[in-house]
Amino acid sequence: MLEYTKKIQEIAGRLLSEGKVEVFIGYAKGTVPMMNHPVVIRDSAKAETLVWDSHCGLNLCNYLTKMKGKIGIVANGCNSRNIVTHILENQITREQLYIVGIPCEGMVDHRAVKRAVGNRELEEVIEEGDTLVVKGRGFREIIKKTDVLQRNCAVCTHRNPVIYDEMLGPPVEEQTGVDQFKDVRMIEEMTPEKKWGFFTRTIAKCIRCYACRNACPLCYCPTCFVDESRPQWVGKSNDPTDTMTFHILRAYHCAGRCTDCGACERVCPVGIPVRQFTKKLNKDALEFFSWEAGLAIDQRPALDTYKPNDYNEFIR
Amino acid sequence: MNDWQPKITTFLCHWCSYGAADLAGVSRFQYPPNFRIIRVPCSGRISPKFILAALRHGADAVWVSG
Amino acid sequence: MITFKLNGKTVQGDGGEYILPVAQRNGVEIPTLCHHKVLEPAGMCRLCTVELFDGRRSRFVTSCNYPIWEGMEVKTDSARVRQGRKLIVEMLLARCPDVPVLKRLGTEYGVEEPRFKKGDDDCILCGLCTRICERVGASAISLTGRGLEMEVSTPFGEKTDVCLACGACASVCPTGHINMDVVREKHAAHEVELIASEYDMGLKGRKPIYIPYAQAIPNTPAIDRSKCVHFKTGGCKICEEACGVKAIDHTQQDEILELNVGAVVLAPGFKPFDPSKYVTYQYSKHPNVMTSMEFERILSASGPTMGHLVRMSDHKEPKKIAWLQCVGSRDMNRCDHPYCSSVCCMYAIKEASIAKEHAGSDLDCAIFFMDMRTHGKDFERYYDAAREKHGVRFIRSRVHSIEPNAGGDDLVLRYATEKGEQVEETFDMVVLSIGLEISEEIKGLAEKLGINLTEGGFCNTSSFTPVATNKEGIYVCGAFQGPKDIPQSVIEASSAAAEAGALLSEARNTLTRAKEDIKERDIRGERPRIGVFVCHCGINIGSIVDVKGVRDYAKTLPYVEYVADNLYSCSQDTQDAMTQVIKANDLNRIVVAACTPKTHEPLFQETLVNAGLNRYLFEMTNIRNQDSWVHKDEPEKATEKAKDLVRMAVAKAALIESLQEAQLSVNQKAMVIGGGISGMTAARSLSRQGYQVCLVERSGELGGQALNLFQTWKGEKVGAELDALIRSVKSDSRIDLRLGSEIENVEGFVGSFKTSLSSKSGKDTVEHGVTVIATGASEYKPTEYLYGKDPRVVTHLELDRKFKDDDPALKDVKTAVFIQCVGSREPERPYCSRVCCTHSIESALHIKEINPDASVYVLYRDIRTYGEREYLYRKARAKGVIFVRFALDKKPCVSATPEGLSVVVEDHILGRDIAIRADMLALASAIVPYKDEKLAQFFKVPMNEDGFFVEAHAKLGPSEFSTDGVFLCGLAHYPKPIDESVAHAQAASSRAVRLLARKNISVSGTVAQTNPLYCSSCGICVSICPYSAPHFIEKGPFTGRAEINPVLCKGCGLCVASCRSGAINLKGFGTDQIMAMINEM
Repeated sequence: MLEYTKKIQEIAGRLLSEGKVEVFIGYAKGTVPMMNHPVVIRDSAKAETLVWDSHCGLNLCNYLTKMKGKIGIVANGCNSRNIVTHILENQITREQLYIVGIPCEGMVDHRAVKRAVGNRELEEVIEEGDTLVVKGRGFREIIKKTDVLQRNCAVCTHRNPVIYDEMLGPPVEEQTGVDQFKDVRMIEEMTPEKKWGFFTRTIAKCIRCYACRNACPLCYCPTCFVDESRPQWVGKSNDPTDTMTFHILRAYHCAGRCTDCGACERVCPVGIPVRQFTKKLNKDALEFFSWEAGLAIDQRPALDTYKPNDYNEFIR
Repeated sequence: MNDWQPKITTFLCHWCSYGAADLAGVSRFQYPPNFRIIRVPCSGRISPKFILAALRHGADAVWVSG
Repeated sequence: MITFKLNGKTVQGDGGEYILPVAQRNGVEIPTLCHHKVLEPAGMCRLCTVELFDGRRSRFVTSCNYPIWEGMEVKTDSARVRQGRKLIVEMLLARCPDVPVLKRLGTEYGVEEPRFKKGDDDCILCGLCTRICERVGASAISLTGRGLEMEVSTPFGEKTDVCLACGACASVCPTGHINMDVVREKHAAHEVELIASEYDMGLKGRKPIYIPYAQAIPNTPAIDRSKCVHFKTGGCKICEEACGVKAIDHTQQDEILELNVGAVVLAPGFKPFDPSKYVTYQYSKHPNVMTSMEFERILSASGPTMGHLVRMSDHKEPKKIAWLQCVGSRDMNRCDHPYCSSVCCMYAIKEASIAKEHAGSDLDCAIFFMDMRTHGKDFERYYDAAREKHGVRFIRSRVHSIEPNAGGDDLVLRYATEKGEQVEETFDMVVLSIGLEISEEIKGLAEKLGINLTEGGFCNTSSFTPVATNKEGIYVCGAFQGPKDIPQSVIEASSAAAEAGALLSEARNTLTRAKEDIKERDIRGERPRIGVFVCHCGINIGSIVDVKGVRDYAKTLPYVEYVADNLYSCSQDTQDAMTQVIKANDLNRIVVAACTPKTHEPLFQETLVNAGLNRYLFEMTNIRNQDSWVHKDEPEKATEKAKDLVRMAVAKAALIESLQEAQLSVNQKAMVIGGGISGMTAARSLSRQGYQVCLVERSGELGGQALNLFQTWKGEKVGAELDALIRSVKSDSRIDLRLGSEIENVEGFVGSFKTSLSSKSGKDTVEHGVTVIATGASEYKPTEYLYGKDPRVVTHLELDRKFKDDDPALKDVKTAVFIQCVGSREPERPYCSRVCCTHSIESALHIKEINPDASVYVLYRDIRTYGEREYLYRKARAKGVIFVRFALDKKPCVSATPEGLSVVVEDHILGRDIAIRADMLALASAIVPYKDEKLAQFFKVPMNEDGFFVEAHAKLGPSEFSTDGVFLCGLAHYPKPIDESVAHAQAASSRAVRLLARKNISVSGTVAQTNPLYCSSCGICVSICPYSAPHFIEKGPFTGRAEINPVLCKGCGLCVASCRSGAINLKGFGTDQIMAMINEM
């Protein structure tokens, strides 16, 4: 990991000083443990602020939308897939980008780490190989990284970037045999009443802060449907019906586009597993259309093509 | 069962299902008066938002046909 | 007008009216058994007894025949009335204890058990039957006898000729004493005959006044003079009274109209073959043997069984159904129809597949056939799917007879399998796949017109003028030209129109009249002022829905300024009144609650235009087809529904705006791409109709594949005809011929295309309004059967070349072998090339002509000489051409030996290999499309997986694309012979002229529009639109945002629903409008 940080700093410095890119987008260490934040640098001298470790769970693609000029960016598997989606959706062009690819072994779930130490206050989290050393007032514990991976990372099957100009290291082995949709199937098997109960409980805590929307690279519309008033699709209060409408519609807008990067869930201040909404649609996209978002730059997404001679009979 | 009756919001495509509903009338097929029909130019016009909006406004079921 | 009190309420009626109808009109129910509104009241049943107070005293009168008078007071349901009625009910019930309607009344009036001695009659002597019988003019029955012996009867109780068995008595009998069985047994000397519905193939009855079928145009009832009782007795005319608008006139006579026309198109169609003469098939005897046409009705949701698949004898769901093919086709012995009817194989497969869809997969469907002829576009795939996916059984066997199963309703078929075994199988139902024939009446018409017919009785035409008869100016299309299916009929119809149009091109637009232009009011900024018109539609709506209640409800809705109810909103006088009302009340939005907008929206929109309103300021809601007609047993709920529907419509109407219809001028020039027979014919047809044409051909010469062809199946020499066509194209001053030209780029859309051409002489841009794609196809070059390795193996086009050159070597051919389906009907090319069977047989015959002693073998899978091409097949067999069938998995083996080619094939009858030593082997190689992806993208037209272009509609739009202004013909669409290519080319030209002739097109106002401020440039709309209407803005502040070309937009709203950013709206079906309707639901 450490050597990736070094390499990113070197590359960013080089690209900026040579004028190959005007800005470089990466992560910087946060002020609170495990909370790396995105950083946009224009000066090669600031390249040393860039880091790469297991806490880079925000999606940098969010910052590419309609950017002008040449941009350098770091991208692991899911971020690179969002870059592909961005290119397909005309939010950025391939020519503008210099993509620094990072083979990724998954990000850790900051909440899981806290739970592992009994929700005590953390002062420092140090990454050492496959483990995390977690320190706080009066304690020091060692946690295996694989035990606290973000749930999306634990079932990720696209850890290596699908598009890049330069790779930081050899590709990591892709996980096989993981059951991506175990949780979705569990919900699918519920009776309608149970399902209703499940989702009602799931969103009960929602405060309608829209952090999930803001963290998502797919949500780039000039005016979001939640802000629209003519017609008003959804009420502005946190009435359960409106909240449910928001979550379902947000998920629909991500259908066939979501890369399951997990940013939405990571940023939720009240810890709602919002991926439960998007994952069902990912599953459907895969099962009905053999489609996973952002894998190829020359293929139109499943839900935005129309062919009168489609091979799927139910469409014709 | 009790005598609860569902309220069904129906979106029918002008070119096919709406015509079929007309034909059902011409043929005097009798069916329960539980749904209200909204004519749309094509079932492609239906956004998931309409379906949710109908459910929000108290529909027990939504039927899209086209 | 007389005013009196009814149950304390003041009501009015006309002088001479009786109490009962006035009460009914005021919603007061009075029970009666002997009253009928068209008959004079008789006061027979006494149930309608009411209490009358005349100012001094009360008394009882029968309300049905007591006239009203000023100031009287009537009570219909007082305690005294009820008590009196109870006694009447009790006595009636004693006479007829088992009549349901009396039992119901008994319960209502608290008579559990009559105190009087019970009888066992079911006639209450109400006299409705005798009165109606008199009214219809028959007077066959009356009340006979006296006192206790009184009964309804004919004179002396004899069956009588006077009784027409019309059933009027049975229709009015309240107790069920008279039904049709009674009429049959007791009264009528005639046989009781139900009137068979022609549309339902006699499987269902109809009335003497009827609409032939639900979609009939005009959708107006007609009186069947041969059945109407008025035309028999001079009486009745009840319908005249019942009709609210007095539309019925029994005195109308047939009229003879003389029209002066410049051209005539004959499209009289065919007659389904009547299989009664196949006596061994039991059709006329056994209800479970039916024709395919009858079976179509059984499968239809609007048919006699409402789409429920049952057999006729016992209405049991069949488990096994057999189809027998070629009934009335390909048969000389029993029907003198040697031709193939072309359509039956495909419709049988369709019926079997749909039957399985309706009844579930455990239904066993077996089709008994001789050759499976699925030669149409995508038909072979359908056949494969029916066989492999749906499990329809295909049995190659001609079944001789159908035997009823002793003691049951089942049917036994005995047939020989391909292996020669005799099998007996029992089916629940047998469908006879009947052929097409030309009726004697049409043959008579042809004779009158002096038109030549073919041997099969079809209109005789040539391959190069397939819709022209021998009489100039008389054209033909459809099944009269030859047995054919829908797409080919539609093609010929357009083709005949093109030919007539060419003949009359000088007269185009000489008889048109300009419409008066009414200035449109600008309603911008006005508060909505909605007018709501609720229609009674006679009794169609009014008898179920409380129309006045709905009208009054509408008045309470926001922005509604005016409400009215009309008896018939669509009648001319109402339309005129509406125009006045709109103007007088300054209405700016109109809602009509009536029938269906599918038929009536344009009419009302025209009224709006006449009233100076934009035609889109209109909303229609359907309270007839989708309300009163379908909820007739629940009038209250139907009224509620009507109110809801009106409220929703008003909510939408408040938000609708005036819409503009984009105008587009159409460049008057056409471009035809491809210089083969199709392209040249299309170009010539367009030119003959008066339009400039640019004809583009990539090669250096005109003619295309036809250059290789020797003769047509009708024996016409292709060379001479082709030369004439080429000459006519070259000398045509309206045709701008571009040989050796490729298309580099295409810009624009319907009405204004800009096509860049490049040729040796340079580049050029042509502007044109429409495009016809006629790029053709080519011959598959086989890799099998030693082709290319041995000079004696040739394709059929190469053999044609030898015929054309009169190759002397042909004289020495002693044995010639033809192998069919080379490259066709194979897994990698799963379509039939349509022309090869006929072509090979014609070539085989030509070899026989050159050298009658030559042995000629045709190795085939199914012979598909459809239509009258079948005659050629017969002729070939008569001349000694030997046909050997092989299966796909047992293809012939070809090897070269010094003595000649050795062709080994398994003979299916012997079950053994036979070896043929041949001097020549001709391969019927497939027709393969060019798969021109570039062209497809230029014109935004789709291609199927085989590489043929996909037409707008497989059946109804075979000559155009769904992209406006682009048309299709010839082999680029699907393999076809010359006659069909010519017809297709003329059809494409006809469709193109529809656009060209209008000079300007105004497109619908119901189109999508983007708001670039909201657009996120994601491009989904651009990607998904089937009509390529959205595109990215190329310059200005909104560069990169999407915009929609209203000319190309069809208003489907697909882009609107797919736009996450909410940047697109569909005018006329706006998001806010639909949401408003949802909110009001």
